[in-house]
Amino acid sequence: MSDLAQSSKLPAVHEDDFDVIPFEEAPYSGRLSIFEILKIAWRSIRANMLRSILTALGVIIGVAAVVALVSVGNGVRQNVTDSFSSFGTNLLTISSGQGGFGPPGLVRGGGSQTLTIEDAEAIVALADDRIEGVAPANQSNNQQVKADANNTTATIVGTWPDYEKVQNAATQAGSYFGSTDVETRKRYAVVGSEVASDLFPDVDPQAVVGQKLKIANVSYDILGVLEEQASAGFNNPNTNIIIPLSTFIQRIERNDYEGKPTVSTIAVKVEDPRDVEGVEADLTTLMANLHEKVSEDDYDFNIRNQANQLESVTAVFSTLTTFLGAIAGISLLVGGIGIMNIMLVSVTERTREIGVRKALGAKPRDILSQFLLEAILLSCVGGLIGILIGIAIGYFSTDALSVPFVLSIPSMVLAFAFSAAVGIFFGFYPAQRAAKLDPVDSLRYE
Amino acid sequence: MSELILSLKDIKKAYQMGEEKFLALKGVSFNLYQGEMVALMGPSGSGKSTLMNILGILDNPTEGDYLLRGENVSKLDEFDRAEIRNAYIGFVFQSFHLLPRLNLLENVEVPLTYAGYAPKVRRDRAFDMLEKVGLVDKWRNLPSQISGGQKQRVAVARALAMNPALLLADEPTGNLDTQTGDEIMGLFHVLNDEGVTVLIVTHEPEIAEQTKRSIRLRDGLLESDQKHEQRRPHVASQVSTHYIGSSQ
Repeated sequence: MSDLAQSSKLPAVHEDDFDVIPFEEAPYSGRLSIFEILKIAWRSIRANMLRSILTALGVIIGVAAVVALVSVGNGVRQNVTDSFSSFGTNLLTISSGQGGFGPPGLVRGGGSQTLTIEDAEAIVALADDRIEGVAPANQSNNQQVKADANNTTATIVGTWPDYEKVQNAATQAGSYFGSTDVETRKRYAVVGSEVASDLFPDVDPQAVVGQKLKIANVSYDILGVLEEQASAGFNNPNTNIIIPLSTFIQRIERNDYEGKPTVSTIAVKVEDPRDVEGVEADLTTLMANLHEKVSEDDYDFNIRNQANQLESVTAVFSTLTTFLGAIAGISLLVGGIGIMNIMLVSVTERTREIGVRKALGAKPRDILSQFLLEAILLSCVGGLIGILIGIAIGYFSTDALSVPFVLSIPSMVLAFAFSAAVGIFFGFYPAQRAAKLDPVDSLRYE
Repeated sequence: MSELILSLKDIKKAYQMGEEKFLALKGVSFNLYQGEMVALMGPSGSGKSTLMNILGILDNPTEGDYLLRGENVSKLDEFDRAEIRNAYIGFVFQSFHLLPRLNLLENVEVPLTYAGYAPKVRRDRAFDMLEKVGLVDKWRNLPSQISGGQKQRVAVARALAMNPALLLADEPTGNLDTQTGDEIMGLFHVLNDEGVTVLIVTHEPEIAEQTKRSIRLRDGLLESDQKHEQRRPHVASQVSTHYIGSSQ
């Protein structure tokens, strides 16, 4: 009998498998491995699949929103930055009225045009070595343009030949008009690549040179076709038609300021980007003298430099992107509260299971890890799915807005880390509540 | 004399009921030896459940010492209690308390998992235990797919998995019909014959009769503690009687 009692302490060991270690001699760690806890957590997620998906949905939407919004915001910023840098950082733009910002060439609303051709001539007269080119410009949007049977809508820009180097608008075929052509008000035109292809479909740009087009029933000779340029966000340079400024004032839009013909902007290209600020100061003095303005508050012009402008635009977009990201972050927070809510319900629902597990030897730590890991698993899987959906939304919306698709790795890492943190933070309280349950009470819980 | 498994020395348990202090146990002492089969009896309110919780180390006594295999387990924190429970106590509950989402094998594995055994060791041990209670071919089933009697046998297999010092059964036949109840009792007899120490908490005299010793509680005190003749039910046990362990 005592022999039997002894033997009962052994597991069934069959004679044919002596190499099997008896249970009593098998090693054990005394603690639950992380893998086992993961398995337990995953099983309970799987057991309530619909509920788990709905719970994770809060996090999915939050993370997707963060990733998508930041990606679209960065895309728009990238687009604006690109168009700014295509003009070069050594460009100064003088325009009428007080400050503000916007891409060059865009006339700010309100206020009359106070810049004159004389202003531009005065700048040229400075004969400053640091200045590479001066291009005063007027423009007229949505002009109907015709060539034979075809017509299109274009933006007519009246300017000087320096426009080519000042605005980085080189020709792919033909050339610009010269300064004598400006003096003699020649009806010459240099057309954007889109104007050329609209008016002369399937015609080689080389063959477009020498053709004629009509603006407001006046015929112009096409001298050149511009290279295709990146869209500047607000206006498309490929639909421009560049004509001599004098011709523009005579034929397209007559305007005066105290009896002198006006221009909306004067673009000045500085040789060396490091001289930009010095030239800007000199031009400010010059313009103030020309316009007889003493105080800065009276200035009827303003000079903007690309670098400053780019900085302020970038800053605005960064703020906007951060702001949008933060709003999306709030939805992530709401998702976290959803997880906490469900975890609390789950703990209550599984009180008896917790009691049984404790009776069988689960330590408070084991129960805590089980529920905490369940919450983290929900939020992390939600986070991963959210990132994928966010990337997809970002991709398609940047495509629709025709801005570059910028994948922001930091925003994805941040969103994922945040969702994991949400899981830990909002999972901790329910998990701790489960861990603290009294085994006696929870075993009796119905 | 067999080895002393546990020893209760003047165990008291007080509960705070509002402003009044209620003494559920007023000083209970007894010893339990290896190979015993004991019934713990008493009407409701006698402190039977309280004593069972203390015996199962689910709860600490307010006063008194509880020596389990010579170790004082009466003043442990929840962490150590969990460890001792896992290693020394095998629970069988009235309503089985199997985990519904785990299959039978996984249910038997649970205490082994918390002890930190490797998966292979756990599986082998759990299969052995299921074989012992005659359910090894149903190992893949979920608890919802088997009968009440079978569930209780799985619970017994789970209780035995860690090779506990004491098999603590709380009304193990309470949710079963007479015949199935007798089968479970038959299983306890076989295990007891193999040397497993069994303590059954019950209010049924028929169950108590089948043990070798009855401890009665009344009003938180030991009313009687007597060894007696064991009456065995005459049922064809489904337990695999061929189970014989190899000697060391």
